[in-house]
Amino acid sequence: MRNGNTPTKGIFAREILALVNPIEAVPPELTVAEVAELFLNPAYAKVLSLPVVESGRPIGVISRYRFMGMYLKQYARELHGKRAIRNYINEHPLLVELDQPLAEAALYVAQNMQFPLTEDFIITRRGKYLGIGFVMDLLKAMEARMRANTDELNNAYSRLKSSQLALVQSEKMASLGQMVAGVAHEINTPLGYVQNNVAIGQDLFMQVRVVIAGYEALVDNLLNGQASDDQIAEQIQQISEMRADFNAQEMLGEMQGLMTDSLYGIGQISELVMNLKNFSRMDAAASDTVNLNDCIESALNIGRNVLKNKVEVVKELADLPKFTCSPSQLNQVFLNLFTNAAQAMEETGRLHIRTWHADEALHISVADNGKGISPENLTRIFDPFFTTKPVGEGTGLGLAISQQIIQQHGGEIQVESRIGEGTTFHIRLPVAAVERQEPLAMTV
Amino acid sequence: MSKPTLLLIDDEERILRSLRMLFFMSYNVRMTTDPYEAIRILREEKVHVVISDQRMPVMQGSELLRIARETSPASMRILLTGYSDLNASIASVNEGEVFRYLLKPWSVEDVKSVVAEAAAIAEASFAVQSVFAEHKAVENIRPRVLIMDHEEATVNTVREILGDRCELVWAHNAQLAMEELAKQDVSVVISDLMLGDTNVAYILKTIKQLNPQTQCIVVTSFNDTSRLIELINQAQISRYLPKPVSKNILARNLESMLERFHALRNQPAMQKRQTVAPISNHQERLQSGNFLGMINRLRARIAV
Repeated sequence: MRNGNTPTKGIFAREILALVNPIEAVPPELTVAEVAELFLNPAYAKVLSLPVVESGRPIGVISRYRFMGMYLKQYARELHGKRAIRNYINEHPLLVELDQPLAEAALYVAQNMQFPLTEDFIITRRGKYLGIGFVMDLLKAMEARMRANTDELNNAYSRLKSSQLALVQSEKMASLGQMVAGVAHEINTPLGYVQNNVAIGQDLFMQVRVVIAGYEALVDNLLNGQASDDQIAEQIQQISEMRADFNAQEMLGEMQGLMTDSLYGIGQISELVMNLKNFSRMDAAASDTVNLNDCIESALNIGRNVLKNKVEVVKELADLPKFTCSPSQLNQVFLNLFTNAAQAMEETGRLHIRTWHADEALHISVADNGKGISPENLTRIFDPFFTTKPVGEGTGLGLAISQQIIQQHGGEIQVESRIGEGTTFHIRLPVAAVERQEPLAMTV
Repeated sequence: MSKPTLLLIDDEERILRSLRMLFFMSYNVRMTTDPYEAIRILREEKVHVVISDQRMPVMQGSELLRIARETSPASMRILLTGYSDLNASIASVNEGEVFRYLLKPWSVEDVKSVVAEAAAIAEASFAVQSVFAEHKAVENIRPRVLIMDHEEATVNTVREILGDRCELVWAHNAQLAMEELAKQDVSVVISDLMLGDTNVAYILKTIKQLNPQTQCIVVTSFNDTSRLIELINQAQISRYLPKPVSKNILARNLESMLERFHALRNQPAMQKRQTVAPISNHQERLQSGNFLGMINRLRARIAV
């Protein structure tokens, strides 16, 4: 804590300074009787002990308690009254330096004070007497300090909590961003040929219009019988030249194929957009009753960009009962596991996804034959910010958030891995409707 | 004259059919979804322009274009991709040495004009019998290498590599770089993208207009795919090497660029292969125009 908030020396000095009572010091030559008189001074009513100082330096304290002990004996006044106080002092008083940290002073005083409390402590500046301090004041100051620390801790805690929220949000945005970028790229291919086909179609449409206009002019002339034979012959000549340049039938036939392709491409684009929508479920309730296999399919669709040409996906999805959950969150978990698996593969690999229903729970296992995780990393993979990816490529929050999501669903996620063989994640989600203690707002 | 041949490679057949429809009137269109089939065609037939997708199951487009470069060096290479990822674009410069990096969805007019331009250049390349074969005819000019970088470390590395075989010029800011380019022809430019606070893309995009033989190696830690694609199309940079670059890699690339510079001097017909696209950014177009104006004034004064 002290490292987190290192006060300067000035602050220490001020803390102790506030405790100083500038009581006039007692010279060691003063007699016992004279000192006893001092204790009767109402200004010293609160004082437990008086400091004895010789040439500026404290040499001890004399306490009321000591006087009590002395004066309770017979003839004490007569026996000791005229003698110098020097002979009666406690030569090991509690000494606190002005610039000592408060906590250190409090610890020193607490460890060295006597019970019952009979003496005050002496405050010095570079060894010179400055005043006395009351132990109770010191303890009060310490308590105030503790309270301030607690407040600070509370503030730090709430700051941490909000920054964690921000991080969770940023992880979510990062994976969302990746996903959107992937899908956007995926859309470019069908968009490419659909757009090209439409442009070609438009061009063709213009050419066909010209051809039809030629035919129509010829037919009109033939029907109304006003055109000369030469004119008609010329028109026929023009049309046959046009036909030689431009085979409308063949072009239209080709175009028909491109139209079919375009419809297919538009279907692809719609499917991609729908996948995105299903995956994020922005327009659906946070909690819904769904088939988990659909969530897995949805995550696979979205992750296709990462998995394509690299990962062979083997699915063994059993019939599952409907499950009430936050589908967008579980989608996020699945996508995270799938993309991690793909990233664990050097070149290509296999992703084996299984679901089954047993012991009142839904089980999902996601196994890859990638490079595996070393035992020392395996114990840390669910830790927030733990990542093996280069800086800037992963937030290190993916699995931490996945685990949190699964736990919020009352389930658990476990991992097994062998270097060189692969990694398997196993998720268990109890079917019995889970009463959640906490709303899922955190990761939504 | 027979139609030029266009070879299209994409794992999506619909892309192939669509492009064929666009080109079949003016070109002999060959197409395949299989990169190995494409390599066979390149070996056996005279192909003017190769247009390849990047992401394909069996082979990346940049790899296919690298093979195309060896198999049929006169063919012009174009990448047409829906994925603008950095590694693919770096590979398309360094390995594929592409003429253009085009994105899906494309503009019909742009693709048509790029292909027409590429086909004409390829025809000229085929006419010059052996491409890059005569560059051994060494000419005794001392190459001039301009380093545009604010880090002196780069200059030192280049000096270690070249010794005093070449004249080395160091420009640590844009003004100096422009002055050096104006003063005298440069064989090879080694440049970062940022000189201090100045983005020098406009200088790089103007270099081919000053001297089409100048080869440009970009060495930078700046990673922006769309900027790189612009540099491919509008500056025809020859290499893009991420910083920090090892001395060996820089040396290897520098040697091959010096060689290419000589080859182009001996074979000016080949210069057209690095024809640049117009500068798309308005600001950069103005900067480039000013730069060219300055050079013309300077050269006019020298001529007088």
